[in-house]
Amino acid sequence: MTSYLNFFGCVIPNRYPGVEYSVRWVTGPEGFNMDAVDHPQFSCCPVPGIFYSTDKETWLLLAARNLVLAQDAKRQILTVCNGCLSSLLKATEYLQEPKNMGKANRILAQIGKKYTGVPVKSEGKRKVFEPVKVRHYIEVMATDVGLDAIRQRTKRSLKNIKVAVHYGCHYLRPTEHMTFDDPNEPVMLDRIVEACGATSVDYEDKLDCCGAGGGVRSHIVELANSLTQDKCTNIAAAGADCIVTGCPFCLLQFDNAQKSFSKDGIPVMHVSQLQALAMGIDPISLGFDTHHVSAHSLLRKLRGV
Amino acid sequence: MSEVEKTFIGGLKEKLVEDKVIDESELDPNFAKEIQKYGGKDVMTCLQCGNCTGVCPISLKIDYKTRSIVKFCQFGLKKYTLGTRWVCATCYRCYEHCPADLNPAEVMIALRHIAVREGIIPPFVKTAVTNLVKYGQSVKPDPEIEKIRKELGLKRVHSEDPEFASVIREIQVLVHASKYDKLIGIQEEVKL
Repeated sequence: MTSYLNFFGCVIPNRYPGVEYSVRWVTGPEGFNMDAVDHPQFSCCPVPGIFYSTDKETWLLLAARNLVLAQDAKRQILTVCNGCLSSLLKATEYLQEPKNMGKANRILAQIGKKYTGVPVKSEGKRKVFEPVKVRHYIEVMATDVGLDAIRQRTKRSLKNIKVAVHYGCHYLRPTEHMTFDDPNEPVMLDRIVEACGATSVDYEDKLDCCGAGGGVRSHIVELANSLTQDKCTNIAAAGADCIVTGCPFCLLQFDNAQKSFSKDGIPVMHVSQLQALAMGIDPISLGFDTHHVSAHSLLRKLRGV
Repeated sequence: MSEVEKTFIGGLKEKLVEDKVIDESELDPNFAKEIQKYGGKDVMTCLQCGNCTGVCPISLKIDYKTRSIVKFCQFGLKKYTLGTRWVCATCYRCYEHCPADLNPAEVMIALRHIAVREGIIPPFVKTAVTNLVKYGQSVKPDPEIEKIRKELGLKRVHSEDPEFASVIREIQVLVHASKYDKLIGIQEEVKL
Protein backbone atom coordinates (compact mmCIF):
# COMPACT_ATOMS: atom_id res chain seq x y z
CA MET A 1 0.00 0.00 0.00
CA THR A 2 1.30 3.43 -0.90
CA SER A 3 1.91 5.73 2.03
CA TYR A 4 1.09 9.41 1.81
CA LEU A 5 1.70 12.66 3.64
CA ASN A 6 -1.31 14.95 3.72
CA PHE A 7 -0.52 18.40 2.36
CA PHE A 8 -3.47 20.70 3.02
CA GLY A 9 -1.80 24.01 2.15
CA CYS A 10 -3.03 27.37 3.41
CA VAL A 11 -6.58 27.92 2.13
CA ILE A 12 -8.19 24.70 3.37
CA PRO A 13 -7.18 24.79 7.08
CA ASN A 14 -7.69 28.55 7.41
CA ARG A 15 -10.81 29.09 5.28
CA TYR A 16 -12.58 25.77 4.55
CA PRO A 17 -12.12 23.45 7.56
CA GLY A 18 -15.02 21.33 6.22
CA VAL A 19 -12.84 20.28 3.30
CA GLU A 20 -10.08 19.22 5.67
CA TYR A 21 -12.58 17.24 7.72
CA SER A 22 -14.00 15.45 4.69
CA VAL A 23 -10.57 14.62 3.26
CA ARG A 24 -9.56 13.13 6.61
CA TRP A 25 -12.87 11.27 6.80
CA VAL A 26 -12.67 9.87 3.26
CA THR A 27 -9.05 8.75 3.61
CA GLY A 28 -9.46 7.64 7.24
CA PRO A 29 -10.81 4.49 8.93
CA GLU A 30 -14.44 5.37 8.19
CA GLY A 31 -13.57 5.78 4.52
CA PHE A 32 -10.91 4.03 2.47
CA ASN A 33 -8.52 3.55 5.40
CA MET A 34 -5.49 4.83 3.52
CA ASP A 35 -2.04 5.24 5.02
CA ALA A 36 -2.12 9.04 5.01
CA VAL A 37 -0.61 10.97 7.92
CA ASP A 38 0.17 14.62 8.69
CA HIS A 39 3.61 16.15 8.89
CA PRO A 40 3.71 18.77 11.65
CA GLN A 41 6.42 20.79 9.90
CA PHE A 42 4.88 21.44 6.51
CA SER A 43 4.64 25.14 5.67
CA CYS A 44 3.03 26.96 2.74
CA CYS A 45 3.91 25.26 -0.56
CA PRO A 46 4.68 28.36 -1.34
CA VAL A 47 1.99 30.04 -3.45
CA PRO A 48 3.05 30.09 -7.09
CA GLY A 49 1.17 33.36 -7.77
CA ILE A 50 3.28 35.22 -5.21
CA PHE A 51 6.63 33.49 -4.77
CA TYR A 52 7.19 31.86 -8.16
CA SER A 53 6.18 35.20 -9.68
CA THR A 54 8.52 37.42 -7.73
CA ASP A 55 11.62 35.38 -6.89
CA LYS A 56 12.17 31.88 -8.22
CA GLU A 57 15.17 31.30 -5.96
CA THR A 58 13.19 31.84 -2.74
CA TRP A 59 10.27 29.88 -4.16
CA LEU A 60 12.55 26.91 -4.83
CA LEU A 61 14.10 27.04 -1.35
CA LEU A 62 10.74 27.08 0.42
CA ALA A 63 9.33 24.32 -1.79
CA ALA A 64 12.50 22.23 -1.38
CA ARG A 65 12.14 22.51 2.40
CA ASN A 66 8.75 20.80 2.18
CA LEU A 67 10.06 18.22 -0.28
CA VAL A 68 12.95 17.32 2.05
CA LEU A 69 10.42 16.52 4.81
CA ALA A 70 8.60 14.11 2.48
CA GLN A 71 11.87 12.65 1.26
CA ASP A 72 13.01 11.90 4.81
CA ALA A 73 9.63 10.41 5.70
CA LYS A 74 9.80 8.24 2.53
CA ARG A 75 6.23 9.06 1.63
CA GLN A 76 4.42 10.58 -1.33
CA ILE A 77 2.91 14.04 -0.92
CA LEU A 78 -0.87 14.01 -1.24
CA THR A 79 -1.96 17.54 -2.19
CA VAL A 80 -5.56 18.62 -2.04
CA CYS A 81 -4.95 21.86 -3.94
CA ASN A 82 -4.00 22.62 -7.55
CA GLY A 83 -1.68 25.44 -6.46
CA CYS A 84 0.28 23.19 -4.08
CA LEU A 85 0.43 20.53 -6.79
CA SER A 86 1.81 22.85 -9.44
CA SER A 87 4.27 24.54 -7.07
CA LEU A 88 5.71 21.35 -5.56
CA LEU A 89 5.70 19.40 -8.83
CA LYS A 90 7.49 22.20 -10.63
CA ALA A 91 10.01 22.36 -7.79
CA THR A 92 10.86 18.66 -8.10
CA GLU A 93 11.46 19.28 -11.78
CA TYR A 94 13.72 22.29 -11.11
CA LEU A 95 15.65 20.26 -8.55
CA GLN A 96 16.41 17.56 -11.11
CA GLU A 97 18.81 20.09 -12.62
CA PRO A 98 22.12 19.53 -10.72
CA LYS A 99 22.93 23.26 -10.77
CA ASN A 100 19.63 24.19 -9.12
CA MET A 101 19.91 21.37 -6.61
CA GLY A 102 23.43 22.37 -5.59
CA LYS A 103 22.46 26.00 -5.21
CA ALA A 104 19.39 25.15 -3.12
CA ASN A 105 21.29 22.68 -0.94
CA ARG A 106 23.97 25.24 -0.11
CA ILE A 107 21.33 27.44 1.53
CA LEU A 108 19.27 24.54 2.91
CA ALA A 109 22.41 23.47 4.80
CA GLN A 110 21.85 26.50 7.05
CA ILE A 111 18.73 24.80 8.43
CA GLY A 112 20.32 21.34 8.37
CA LYS A 113 18.42 20.00 5.38
CA LYS A 114 19.49 18.45 2.10
CA TYR A 115 17.45 17.53 -0.92
CA THR A 116 18.61 14.46 -2.83
CA GLY A 117 15.41 12.79 -3.87
CA VAL A 118 14.27 9.38 -2.65
CA PRO A 119 16.88 6.62 -2.97
CA VAL A 120 15.37 3.80 -5.04
CA LYS A 121 18.28 1.41 -5.61
CA SER A 122 22.07 1.32 -5.58
CA GLU A 123 24.29 0.36 -8.49
CA GLY A 124 27.53 -0.65 -6.83
CA LYS A 125 28.55 2.30 -4.70
CA ARG A 126 26.34 4.73 -6.57
CA LYS A 127 22.85 5.38 -5.29
CA VAL A 128 20.05 6.10 -7.72
CA PHE A 129 17.58 8.79 -6.65
CA GLU A 130 14.10 9.53 -7.79
CA PRO A 131 12.34 12.87 -7.30
CA VAL A 132 9.84 13.07 -4.44
CA LYS A 133 6.42 12.07 -5.75
CA VAL A 134 3.78 14.78 -5.59
CA ARG A 135 0.24 13.56 -6.21
CA HIS A 136 -3.12 15.25 -6.52
CA TYR A 137 -6.09 14.02 -4.47
CA ILE A 138 -8.18 13.50 -7.63
CA GLU A 139 -5.50 11.37 -9.24
CA VAL A 140 -4.99 9.29 -6.10
CA MET A 141 -8.74 8.71 -5.79
CA ALA A 142 -9.18 7.77 -9.45
CA THR A 143 -6.14 5.50 -9.75
CA ASP A 144 -4.85 4.30 -6.35
CA VAL A 145 -8.22 3.94 -4.65
CA GLY A 146 -10.07 3.15 -7.84
CA LEU A 147 -13.49 4.02 -9.18
CA ASP A 148 -14.93 0.60 -8.32
CA ALA A 149 -14.05 1.07 -4.65
CA ILE A 150 -15.70 4.50 -4.70
CA ARG A 151 -18.80 3.01 -6.33
CA GLN A 152 -19.02 0.21 -3.75
CA ARG A 153 -18.79 2.57 -0.81
CA THR A 154 -21.59 4.85 -2.03
CA LYS A 155 -24.41 4.77 0.50
CA ARG A 156 -26.43 7.91 -0.11
CA SER A 157 -28.07 8.21 -3.51
CA LEU A 158 -27.03 11.33 -5.43
CA LYS A 159 -29.07 10.23 -8.43
CA ASN A 160 -30.93 13.51 -8.89
CA ILE A 161 -27.91 15.74 -8.41
CA LYS A 162 -26.46 17.41 -11.47
CA VAL A 163 -22.86 18.42 -10.98
CA ALA A 164 -20.79 20.88 -13.00
CA VAL A 165 -17.15 19.93 -12.56
CA HIS A 166 -14.37 22.51 -12.67
CA TYR A 167 -10.85 21.17 -13.02
CA GLY A 168 -8.87 24.39 -12.58
CA CYS A 169 -5.91 25.53 -14.68
CA HIS A 170 -3.04 24.16 -12.63
CA TYR A 171 -4.54 20.68 -12.60
CA LEU A 172 -4.29 20.71 -16.41
CA ARG A 173 -1.49 23.00 -17.45
CA PRO A 174 1.42 23.38 -18.17
CA THR A 175 1.27 19.92 -19.73
CA GLU A 176 4.94 19.05 -19.37
CA HIS A 177 4.33 18.63 -15.64
CA MET A 178 0.84 17.18 -15.73
CA THR A 179 0.93 13.73 -17.18
CA PHE A 180 -1.72 11.93 -15.19
CA ASP A 181 -4.83 13.27 -16.93
CA ASP A 182 -5.53 14.38 -20.50
CA PRO A 183 -5.05 18.19 -20.43
CA ASN A 184 -7.42 18.78 -23.33
CA GLU A 185 -10.08 16.31 -22.32
CA PRO A 186 -9.63 15.55 -18.63
CA VAL A 187 -11.84 12.78 -17.29
CA MET A 188 -10.80 11.85 -13.73
CA LEU A 189 -12.96 14.31 -11.81
CA ASP A 190 -16.01 13.52 -14.00
CA ARG A 191 -15.51 9.81 -13.34
CA ILE A 192 -15.23 10.29 -9.58
CA VAL A 193 -18.45 12.32 -9.62
CA GLU A 194 -20.20 9.63 -11.68
CA ALA A 195 -18.82 6.91 -9.39
CA CYS A 196 -20.39 8.76 -6.46
CA GLY A 197 -23.72 8.36 -8.21
CA ALA A 198 -24.25 11.96 -9.34
CA THR A 199 -24.52 13.13 -12.94
CA SER A 200 -21.74 15.26 -14.38
CA VAL A 201 -23.27 17.73 -16.84
CA ASP A 202 -21.37 19.12 -19.78
CA TYR A 203 -21.26 22.89 -20.16
CA GLU A 204 -19.66 25.41 -22.44
CA ASP A 205 -16.04 26.42 -21.80
CA LYS A 206 -15.66 23.75 -19.13
CA LEU A 207 -11.88 24.08 -18.98
CA ASP A 208 -11.84 27.87 -18.63
CA CYS A 209 -10.10 29.63 -15.79
CA CYS A 210 -12.07 30.61 -12.66
CA GLY A 211 -10.24 33.95 -12.72
CA ALA A 212 -8.51 33.88 -9.37
CA GLY A 213 -5.06 32.52 -10.16
CA GLY A 214 -1.74 34.25 -10.61
CA GLY A 215 -2.60 37.10 -8.27
CA VAL A 216 -5.50 38.40 -10.39
CA ARG A 217 -8.02 38.02 -7.56
CA SER A 218 -5.79 39.94 -5.18
CA HIS A 219 -4.91 42.61 -7.75
CA ILE A 220 -8.22 43.39 -9.51
CA VAL A 221 -11.04 41.46 -7.90
CA GLU A 222 -13.63 42.78 -10.41
CA LEU A 223 -11.67 41.30 -13.31
CA ALA A 224 -11.47 37.92 -11.58
CA ASN A 225 -15.18 38.06 -10.76
CA SER A 226 -16.17 38.85 -14.32
CA LEU A 227 -14.39 35.69 -15.49
CA THR A 228 -16.22 33.72 -12.80
CA GLN A 229 -19.51 35.27 -13.90
CA ASP A 230 -19.01 33.91 -17.44
CA LYS A 231 -18.36 30.46 -16.02
CA CYS A 232 -21.36 30.59 -13.72
CA THR A 233 -23.64 31.71 -16.58
CA ASN A 234 -22.61 28.63 -18.56
CA ILE A 235 -22.97 26.39 -15.52
CA ALA A 236 -26.45 27.73 -14.74
CA ALA A 237 -27.46 27.24 -18.40
CA ALA A 238 -26.57 23.56 -18.07
CA GLY A 239 -28.92 23.30 -15.08
CA ALA A 240 -26.31 22.20 -12.56
CA ASP A 241 -27.22 21.92 -8.87
CA CYS A 242 -23.68 22.43 -7.65
CA ILE A 243 -20.11 23.04 -8.74
CA VAL A 244 -17.47 20.50 -7.75
CA THR A 245 -13.79 21.32 -7.98
CA GLY A 246 -10.50 19.82 -6.84
CA CYS A 247 -8.92 23.14 -5.95
CA PRO A 248 -9.69 25.18 -2.81
CA PHE A 249 -8.61 28.43 -4.47
CA CYS A 250 -11.11 27.93 -7.31
CA LEU A 251 -13.62 27.00 -4.61
CA LEU A 252 -12.86 30.24 -2.77
CA GLN A 253 -13.23 32.26 -5.96
CA PHE A 254 -16.57 30.66 -7.00
CA ASP A 255 -17.83 30.95 -3.44
CA ASN A 256 -16.90 34.61 -2.93
CA ALA A 257 -17.44 35.95 -6.43
CA GLN A 258 -21.02 34.77 -6.83
CA LYS A 259 -22.46 37.23 -4.33
CA SER A 260 -21.20 40.09 -6.53
CA PHE A 261 -23.45 39.16 -9.44
CA SER A 262 -26.24 36.86 -8.26
CA LYS A 263 -28.58 36.66 -5.30
CA ASP A 264 -28.65 32.93 -4.56
CA GLY A 265 -25.77 31.43 -6.42
CA ILE A 266 -24.84 27.84 -7.16
CA PRO A 267 -23.39 25.90 -4.19
CA VAL A 268 -19.70 25.05 -4.57
CA MET A 269 -17.83 22.21 -2.93
CA HIS A 270 -14.59 20.29 -3.00
CA VAL A 271 -14.64 16.81 -4.51
CA SER A 272 -13.90 15.29 -1.09
CA GLN A 273 -17.07 16.86 0.30
CA LEU A 274 -19.14 15.29 -2.49
CA GLN A 275 -17.48 11.92 -1.83
CA ALA A 276 -18.16 12.18 1.88
CA LEU A 277 -21.81 13.04 1.12
CA ALA A 278 -22.11 9.98 -1.12
CA MET A 279 -20.48 7.81 1.53
CA GLY A 280 -23.16 8.79 4.00
CA ILE A 281 -21.57 11.42 6.24
CA ASP A 282 -23.84 13.72 8.26
CA PRO A 283 -23.87 16.95 6.15
CA ILE A 284 -23.37 19.02 9.31
CA SER A 285 -19.72 17.85 9.43
CA LEU A 286 -19.00 19.18 5.95
CA GLY A 287 -18.63 22.72 7.24
CA PHE A 288 -20.97 24.25 4.67
CA ASP A 289 -21.63 27.10 7.10
CA THR A 290 -18.18 28.53 6.27
CA HIS A 291 -19.19 28.74 2.60
CA HIS A 292 -20.69 32.02 1.43
CA VAL A 293 -23.11 30.42 -1.00
CA SER A 294 -25.62 28.42 1.02
CA ALA A 295 -25.81 24.71 0.24
CA HIS A 296 -29.43 24.48 1.46
CA SER A 297 -30.91 24.12 -2.04
CA LEU A 298 -28.67 21.14 -2.68
CA LEU A 299 -29.28 19.46 0.66
CA ARG A 300 -33.05 19.94 0.29
CA LYS A 301 -32.92 18.25 -3.10
CA LEU A 302 -30.92 15.40 -1.57
CA ARG A 303 -33.58 14.85 1.06
CA GLY A 304 -36.15 14.86 -1.71
CA VAL A 305 -38.08 17.83 -0.31
CA MET B 1 4.83 58.91 -28.75
CA SER B 2 1.52 59.57 -27.14
CA GLU B 3 -0.02 57.88 -24.18
CA VAL B 4 -3.69 57.34 -23.61
CA GLU B 5 -5.07 56.69 -20.18
CA LYS B 6 -7.58 53.86 -20.20
CA THR B 7 -9.84 52.75 -17.42
CA PHE B 8 -10.05 49.03 -16.89
CA ILE B 9 -12.65 47.02 -15.06
CA GLY B 10 -12.63 47.99 -11.41
CA GLY B 11 -11.45 51.54 -11.99
CA LEU B 12 -7.82 50.56 -12.52
CA LYS B 13 -6.17 53.20 -14.67
CA GLU B 14 -3.23 52.35 -16.88
CA LYS B 15 -1.37 54.42 -19.42
CA LEU B 16 -1.21 52.60 -22.72
CA VAL B 17 0.66 53.24 -25.92
CA GLU B 18 -1.65 54.32 -28.71
CA ASP B 19 0.72 55.48 -31.44
CA LYS B 20 2.55 53.02 -33.60
CA VAL B 21 5.50 55.42 -33.88
CA ILE B 22 8.11 54.70 -31.25
CA ASP B 23 10.87 57.06 -30.25
CA GLU B 24 14.20 55.28 -30.06
CA SER B 25 15.18 57.05 -26.86
CA GLU B 26 12.41 55.19 -25.01
CA LEU B 27 13.78 51.76 -25.83
CA ASP B 28 15.82 49.77 -23.35
CA PRO B 29 18.16 47.56 -25.40
CA ASN B 30 18.86 45.26 -22.44
CA PHE B 31 15.22 44.65 -21.60
CA ALA B 32 14.95 41.33 -23.47
CA LYS B 33 18.13 40.08 -21.80
CA GLU B 34 16.72 40.98 -18.42
CA ILE B 35 13.53 39.06 -19.21
CA GLN B 36 15.53 36.04 -20.33
CA LYS B 37 17.51 36.14 -17.10
CA TYR B 38 14.30 35.73 -15.09
CA GLY B 39 13.03 32.77 -17.08
CA GLY B 40 11.24 34.33 -20.08
CA LYS B 41 13.71 32.67 -22.40
CA ASP B 42 11.39 32.59 -25.41
CA VAL B 43 10.70 36.30 -25.65
CA MET B 44 12.77 37.04 -28.77
CA THR B 45 11.63 34.01 -30.79
CA CYS B 46 7.93 34.98 -30.84
CA LEU B 47 6.56 35.21 -34.38
CA GLN B 48 3.56 37.36 -33.41
CA CYS B 49 0.88 34.98 -34.68
CA GLY B 50 -1.52 36.02 -31.93
CA ASN B 51 -2.77 32.58 -30.86
CA CYS B 52 -1.86 33.45 -27.28
CA THR B 53 -4.17 36.49 -27.28
CA GLY B 54 -6.97 34.45 -28.81
CA VAL B 55 -6.98 31.90 -26.00
CA CYS B 56 -6.17 34.28 -23.13
CA PRO B 57 -9.15 34.59 -20.74
CA ILE B 58 -7.96 38.02 -19.60
CA SER B 59 -7.45 39.41 -23.11
CA LEU B 60 -11.13 38.78 -23.73
CA LYS B 61 -12.06 41.05 -20.87
CA ILE B 62 -9.70 43.99 -20.81
CA ASP B 63 -7.35 45.88 -23.06
CA TYR B 64 -4.46 43.55 -22.39
CA LYS B 65 -3.17 41.58 -25.33
CA THR B 66 -0.56 38.91 -24.70
CA ARG B 67 0.87 39.26 -28.20
CA SER B 68 1.33 43.04 -27.87
CA ILE B 69 3.04 42.69 -24.52
CA VAL B 70 5.53 40.23 -25.99
CA LYS B 71 6.06 42.63 -28.91
CA PHE B 72 6.74 45.53 -26.53
CA CYS B 73 9.22 43.34 -24.66
CA GLN B 74 11.01 42.58 -27.93
CA PHE B 75 11.25 46.30 -28.69
CA GLY B 76 12.46 47.11 -25.20
CA LEU B 77 9.49 49.26 -24.17
CA LYS B 78 10.10 48.64 -20.52
CA LYS B 79 7.89 51.20 -18.82
CA TYR B 80 4.81 50.31 -20.90
CA THR B 81 4.98 46.62 -20.15
CA LEU B 82 5.51 46.83 -16.41
CA GLY B 83 2.03 48.30 -15.93
CA THR B 84 0.27 45.10 -16.99
CA ARG B 85 2.24 42.57 -15.00
CA TRP B 86 -0.31 41.35 -12.44
CA VAL B 87 -3.31 40.65 -14.66
CA CYS B 88 -1.99 37.34 -16.02
CA ALA B 89 -3.82 34.45 -14.35
CA THR B 90 -0.92 32.08 -15.20
CA CYS B 91 -3.42 29.64 -16.67
CA TYR B 92 -0.79 28.61 -19.27
CA ARG B 93 -3.32 28.46 -22.11
CA CYS B 94 -1.00 30.61 -24.26
CA TYR B 95 1.76 28.09 -23.74
CA GLU B 96 -0.57 25.23 -24.64
CA HIS B 97 -1.65 26.85 -27.90
CA CYS B 98 1.62 28.39 -29.08
CA PRO B 99 2.53 26.86 -32.47
CA ALA B 100 6.21 27.60 -31.83
CA ASP B 101 6.07 25.97 -28.37
CA LEU B 102 7.01 29.18 -26.57
CA ASN B 103 5.84 30.14 -23.11
CA PRO B 104 4.36 33.67 -22.91
CA ALA B 105 3.19 33.06 -19.32
CA GLU B 106 6.82 32.75 -18.25
CA VAL B 107 7.49 36.12 -19.93
CA MET B 108 4.75 37.65 -17.77
CA ILE B 109 6.31 36.05 -14.71
CA ALA B 110 9.70 37.50 -15.69
CA LEU B 111 8.04 40.93 -15.98
CA ARG B 112 6.84 40.57 -12.39
CA HIS B 113 10.37 39.70 -11.29
CA ILE B 114 11.65 42.88 -12.97
CA ALA B 115 8.84 45.06 -11.61
CA VAL B 116 9.48 43.90 -8.05
CA ARG B 117 13.17 44.72 -8.45
CA GLU B 118 12.18 48.19 -9.70
CA GLY B 119 10.32 48.68 -6.44
CA ILE B 120 6.79 48.21 -7.82
CA ILE B 121 5.44 45.79 -5.22
CA PRO B 122 1.67 45.33 -4.93
CA PRO B 123 0.45 45.40 -1.29
CA PHE B 124 -1.00 41.87 -1.44
CA VAL B 125 2.47 40.45 -2.13
CA LYS B 126 3.76 42.12 1.00
CA THR B 127 0.81 40.80 3.01
CA ALA B 128 1.30 37.22 1.81
CA VAL B 129 5.04 37.24 2.49
CA THR B 130 4.49 38.79 5.91
CA ASN B 131 1.96 36.06 6.72
CA LEU B 132 4.45 33.43 5.63
CA VAL B 133 7.27 34.64 7.87
CA LYS B 134 4.85 35.18 10.79
CA TYR B 135 2.60 32.11 10.59
CA GLY B 136 4.35 29.80 8.10
CA GLN B 137 1.28 30.08 5.89
CA SER B 138 0.32 32.64 3.27
CA VAL B 139 -3.24 32.88 4.57
CA LYS B 140 -3.72 34.51 7.95
CA PRO B 141 -5.42 32.27 10.52
CA ASP B 142 -8.97 33.42 11.31
CA PRO B 143 -10.30 33.09 14.91
CA GLU B 144 -13.84 32.42 13.60
CA ILE B 145 -12.58 29.50 11.54
CA GLU B 146 -10.63 28.30 14.56
CA LYS B 147 -13.94 28.01 16.44
CA ILE B 148 -15.48 25.94 13.65
CA ARG B 149 -12.40 23.72 13.54
CA LYS B 150 -12.92 23.02 17.22
CA GLU B 151 -16.59 22.17 16.66
CA LEU B 152 -15.63 19.76 13.90
CA GLY B 153 -13.08 18.13 16.18
CA LEU B 154 -10.09 19.23 14.09
CA LYS B 155 -6.79 20.18 15.68
CA ARG B 156 -5.71 23.79 15.85
CA VAL B 157 -3.95 24.94 12.68
CA HIS B 158 -0.24 24.24 12.75
CA SER B 159 0.72 27.88 12.87
CA GLU B 160 -1.00 28.14 16.30
CA ASP B 161 1.10 25.28 17.59
CA PRO B 162 4.06 26.30 19.82
CA GLU B 163 6.16 23.53 18.25
CA PHE B 164 5.73 25.28 14.93
CA ALA B 165 8.07 28.08 16.07
CA SER B 166 11.10 26.14 14.78
CA VAL B 167 9.48 25.91 11.35
CA ILE B 168 8.87 29.66 11.27
CA ARG B 169 12.49 30.19 12.19
CA GLU B 170 13.61 27.93 9.34
CA ILE B 171 11.45 29.87 6.90
CA GLN B 172 12.91 33.15 8.13
CA VAL B 173 16.46 31.80 7.69
CA LEU B 174 15.69 30.83 4.09
CA VAL B 175 13.94 34.10 3.25
CA HIS B 176 16.83 36.05 4.75
CA ALA B 177 19.52 33.93 3.03
CA SER B 178 18.07 34.62 -0.41
CA LYS B 179 17.66 38.35 0.47
CA TYR B 180 13.97 38.08 -0.27
CA ASP B 181 13.03 39.97 2.89
CA LYS B 182 15.01 42.96 1.67
CA LEU B 183 13.57 42.69 -1.84
CA ILE B 184 9.98 42.81 -0.62
CA GLY B 185 10.77 45.22 2.20
CA ILE B 186 9.72 43.19 5.21
CA GLN B 187 13.09 43.05 7.05
CA GLU B 188 11.53 44.12 10.33
CA GLU B 189 9.32 40.97 10.34
CA VAL B 190 12.33 38.66 10.13
CA LYS B 191 13.74 38.29 13.64
CA LEU B 192 16.83 36.15 13.54
